Amino acid sequence: MMFFFIGYQVYPILRVLWMSFTNYRFLRLTPAEWVGFDNYRNALVDPIVYTGLLRAAEFTVLFLPGTILLPMLLAVLIERVEHERLASLYRIILLIPAVIPGTLIFTLWKWMYDFHIGPINYILIQLGWFTERTAPQWLGGTALTLPAVAAFEVWWGLGYHTMFFLAGLASIPKDLTDAARIDGANEWKLFWYVTMPRLLPVLSILVVLRFGSAMSVIEEYLIFGGYNRASPTYTWTVYMYDLAFKIGDWLQGYAAAIGWIGASAMMCVVGGMLYLFRSRD
Amino acid sequence: MKTGIFLRHLTINFFLAIIVLPLLWVLLLSIKSMPDAYSGTLWPDKFDFSHYWYVVTKIETLPRNMLNSIVVTLSTVVITTVCAILAGYALVYARMPGRIAVISVLTASLFFPTKLISLIAIYEIQRWLGLINSTLGLIPPYVTLNLAISVLIMRAIFEQIPVELIEASRLDGCGPWGTLIRVLLPLTVNGIVVVAIVNFVTAWGEFLLAATLTNDQAVRTMPVILASVFGGMGQWAWPRVAAVYILLVLPGITFFALLQRLYFKGLTEGALKL
Repeated sequence: MMFFFIGYQVYPILRVLWMSFTNYRFLRLTPAEWVGFDNYRNALVDPIVYTGLLRAAEFTVLFLPGTILLPMLLAVLIERVEHERLASLYRIILLIPAVIPGTLIFTLWKWMYDFHIGPINYILIQLGWFTERTAPQWLGGTALTLPAVAAFEVWWGLGYHTMFFLAGLASIPKDLTDAARIDGANEWKLFWYVTMPRLLPVLSILVVLRFGSAMSVIEEYLIFGGYNRASPTYTWTVYMYDLAFKIGDWLQGYAAAIGWIGASAMMCVVGGMLYLFRSRD
Repeated sequence: MKTGIFLRHLTINFFLAIIVLPLLWVLLLSIKSMPDAYSGTLWPDKFDFSHYWYVVTKIETLPRNMLNSIVVTLSTVVITTVCAILAGYALVYARMPGRIAVISVLTASLFFPTKLISLIAIYEIQRWLGLINSTLGLIPPYVTLNLAISVLIMRAIFEQIPVELIEASRLDGCGPWGTLIRVLLPLTVNGIVVVAIVNFVTAWGEFLLAATLTNDQAVRTMPVILASVFGGMGQWAWPRVAAVYILLVLPGITFFALLQRLYFKGLTEGALKL
């Protein structure tokens, strides 16, 4: 039962940790040599690692607020829909993107943003805001690429996260909101003082989980940006993948070190966030 | 108050439209005639429904890739769901030592970018086992992708069931297996549906591992194929790619539509209470 978990998660992680201290390569007959912290020393002065981490952080900053606040707003609105059929219809439509696998979402939006055939540019041109020459180049490593990716990631998570908040809202006793209304609280105050504190646990879990997934995004970047180092999608994750599987050298040891540096940096922030959220209970 | 309600529904519908419109656009693209697809107009002058027939009969590797995806996904869903049920059951009812440790490791792995970091070593393991470039070889790594969250969901679901029920079934002479199959499984169908759907979605659309661990067109699964083709001319003309897309999206949405009642119950019963 735990065979899969140990075999394909715990062992590989430790194995990669060991690799990161060696000059390991797949295609070599001599055994890997222990090189101590050399890989880490090299990685910490490697400018690509820094830009990579910064780019990932930039994406996270673009992505997190939208993916948390919009679903919260939507959940508050949907919770008040009293018509039962309508409410469940809304929920079903909201969850459609959640049952579409990631890769399909990425390809869909790659088409949406496409310069020639994509409907987004078509609409912008029809509205007369742009001409066919000046229409924005969304993907392909321009400054617009990261915001564009962040926008569709928000779209993807919108419904699923709304469900989390709806579950949080459902746990608030009705008497409490009724009592607050009788005491003369307006809707805004009600939200701020009654609803919001009770949504905080859901909110903090989502923030931590989404932070983790946003920092380690890789498939989107591979599909959208490829291996062009100048593109803003060339983050530390892509660099690691590039070093380990694409470039001829196959520097797996070095790639492993970069992976661990990125993961450690993330874990520091996650630890900090968990500590912050815990102390407020 | 009336305008308030109106505004609320307007806002909700605005978001719903944003969710649905891109998908409708692909659906529309898949039934456009060639000239319409390339002119970019939203509503086609002429419909052409032949693209679906074309992609399933004329693109040689496609049925093969479809089959690969189906086999890998079904095996992953079954193995993971069974593992999650057994592990969740054990974590709640078996008083074995190290329970807390297992739960904490599973929870910690949710916060850690496991898939990314372990990738290099998974490649090594697969090469050692001779599973590189093998479709079935994808199953073991796929099982682990969602194993932790699946086990935790099942654990949360099992915890909702009152202990008295278990004791009663023991008194009636059911062993641990009998209790699980006859008493607990019918009560946890909702949770099992959630776990199965989550795993289906991941395995059906997995890209990174599939792209890394396989090389030949005939061995690969659908997502890798779809991500690598980009509408051009000939075989992979735009409306045809869109038709493939719709064929890929449909099973997920169909399962979900059929099981949505159970799914929502499962979500509220425990899947969202981690």
